[in-house]
Amino acid sequence: MAKLRVEIVTPEKRLLKAEADEVIAPGATGLFGVRPGHAPFLSKMSAGPVTVSAGAQKNVFFVAGGFVEATATLVRVLADQAEPQASIDVAAAQKRIAEAEAKMKDYELTDARTLALREAIRVEQKRLEVARPK
Amino acid sequence: MSSLRDIRKRIKSVKSTRQITKAMKMVAAAKLRRAQENATNTRAYAQTLWKLVNAALLGVDAADAPHPLMVDRPAKRIDVIVVTSDRGLAAAYNVNVGRQVLKFIRANPDAKVEIVTIGKKGGEFLRARGFKVRKDWPGLYSRLSYAAAQEVAAEVTERFVNGETDAVYVAGTYFRSALVQEPAMLPLLPLKSGMGYRGDVEEEETTAAASMLFEPDRQALIEELLPRSVSVGIFRLLLEGIASEHGARMTAMENATKAAGDMIGTLTLAYNRGRQAAITKELMEIVSGAEALKG
Repeated sequence: MAKLRVEIVTPEKRLLKAEADEVIAPGATGLFGVRPGHAPFLSKMSAGPVTVSAGAQKNVFFVAGGFVEATATLVRVLADQAEPQASIDVAAAQKRIAEAEAKMKDYELTDARTLALREAIRVEQKRLEVARPK
Repeated sequence: MSSLRDIRKRIKSVKSTRQITKAMKMVAAAKLRRAQENATNTRAYAQTLWKLVNAALLGVDAADAPHPLMVDRPAKRIDVIVVTSDRGLAAAYNVNVGRQVLKFIRANPDAKVEIVTIGKKGGEFLRARGFKVRKDWPGLYSRLSYAAAQEVAAEVTERFVNGETDAVYVAGTYFRSALVQEPAMLPLLPLKSGMGYRGDVEEEETTAAASMLFEPDRQALIEELLPRSVSVGIFRLLLEGIASEHGARMTAMENATKAAGDMIGTLTLAYNRGRQAAITKELMEIVSGAEALKG
């Protein structure tokens, strides 16, 4: 069966360049899967897990938003931030949530900064979800 | 002719200089390898991002309702972000960037050019020539990350959207190899469709872009893609700049080490010649003294 070329890149590094049978990514409207032969497709990504399966092997990465480009033979994940599931620092993520929550108390509810902080907290919570699958 | 002791002193000093330049070369070489890797990785991201931007913009008529980042006004006020290093001793690396900015200012005599600097050397160069620096980002290299580049991007983007400036350029250096670094003037804003990752229009294969599906929709994606291409443009030139800096320094130090070696050779020759002359002179004195006693 044809394979997909998969790349996961962030502005700072390239996390993965490999071949795979299937990629599941968090699209703008929920998780979606890509297999070889997919129609040309460009989606905004939300924070969540990217699962790359090759045979029986599954690799899970956390991405914090970005884009996915899919063609019949290629999947490119352009993430703002990304890390392999195994290297997620749970304690650091929890600390960032606590700090953001503390900071949020200083601002009005409608302040743009409150929204930015809430978004940051949501991303960190997603990160924790990926680190500890239910 | 300088005395033997003077020559000996100079040999010693040149030797210690050589040791320093050699060490600096090794440090630069080690740093270069990492910097080069970073620059290459970011290049991959930037190229893909541009491809996606162009795919998303394909068929969108920019003329009637341009995106705020694509508004093409007559360039009366131009912001130039000057990317140089904090440290010198890197051959012409910093000077080349500075010269390029001067050339750009001369080429746009009608525009009011405002300067934003990253790295100390660019500011020093331009201030010495009577230019004012509107904003400096001190210490950016010590906390270099994509987030830092986003801050720089946010500042100029805000100015551009508010109409305080009509165009933004980044003056920096493209890294080709340790020996070749190419000064670059990257147009950052306004964004133009068809613009390649190097800022010029590139004939790239657009992977069936015409029939591409967009999710959630084309407009929402454009909103997300465009601001990122601004910050990525800055980030990439920062990384290319760092790689270029180390490349230039490595080459400069290599040359300095070689020059010091040559100099030590010349000095040693002069020293030995002088020593031999002194011995010969002494011998002749003894011999002629003995001859005189015989007589």
